[in-house]
Amino acid sequence: MDFSKVTLFEAAKKKLQWLTQRQEVLAQNIANADTPGYRAHDLKGYEFRELVRREKMQINMAVTDSNQLPGARRRIRDFADEKTRIPFETAPAGNNVVLEEQMAKVNESGIKHRLTTELYKKHLGMFKMALGRNQ
Amino acid sequence: MDDLMKTLRVSAAGMKAQGTRLRVISENIANADSLPTEPGRLPYRRKVVHFKDVLDRSIGLDTVRVKGISPDRSDFQKRFDPAHPAADADGYVLAPNVNPLIEMMDMREAERSYEANLNMIRASKAMLQSTIDVLR
Repeated sequence: MDFSKVTLFEAAKKKLQWLTQRQEVLAQNIANADTPGYRAHDLKGYEFRELVRREKMQINMAVTDSNQLPGARRRIRDFADEKTRIPFETAPAGNNVVLEEQMAKVNESGIKHRLTTELYKKHLGMFKMALGRNQ
Repeated sequence: MDDLMKTLRVSAAGMKAQGTRLRVISENIANADSLPTEPGRLPYRRKVVHFKDVLDRSIGLDTVRVKGISPDRSDFQKRFDPAHPAADADGYVLAPNVNPLIEMMDMREAERSYEANLNMIRASKAMLQSTIDVLR
């Protein structure tokens, strides 16, 4: 049986991918919290649209000649990145990373990640129950 | 490499940069009273750290690195101490341009940023752990 055909598993997988990628972006922001001129990034919010989006929609550049540049290799699923348009505060050096804001986002991601993995586990437990095996 | 592992790498780079900053601050504070020994000589000059965001090609993310440590060009302080061997004709000694208050504030800021990076590592670790717990 293919678990990825079960909607909830597929949804949980995508959500986890989004959360881990967001964690990467937030780590960059925090590491550069004191870099002059650095602008904070974030991922576009996770929406229902992501669930129905297919991997095939991702288009990578084709190379037809050895003199062409292949372009940056992208991962299979890359979520859209966006710069914070209206920052809470910008330092005189041009840095708009607010640590508190970033930490709040990190915690939010952590909680959502926990929720997603718990749901995943619960669903898996239901399968086990249906199979009739003692846990 | 796993995405969450990359996060750890980025945060570690941030901690390293803040550690360097803290080292320079401690150098400044330690030398706050390093006066010259002869007239005409210069005392200790305050140092400042610069950060830069660099793309780590192996993980494809922006990490932070210390761009350089450069001297602070601001003027030296003057202390009135005619008995000092380095005192000039008017009895003034050039003192380092280190302001302990500024150094303390800088230190707090470095500490806070370091902590933020550490918390990031903790959060990523918790996420990794909860992913692994799915296997249980």
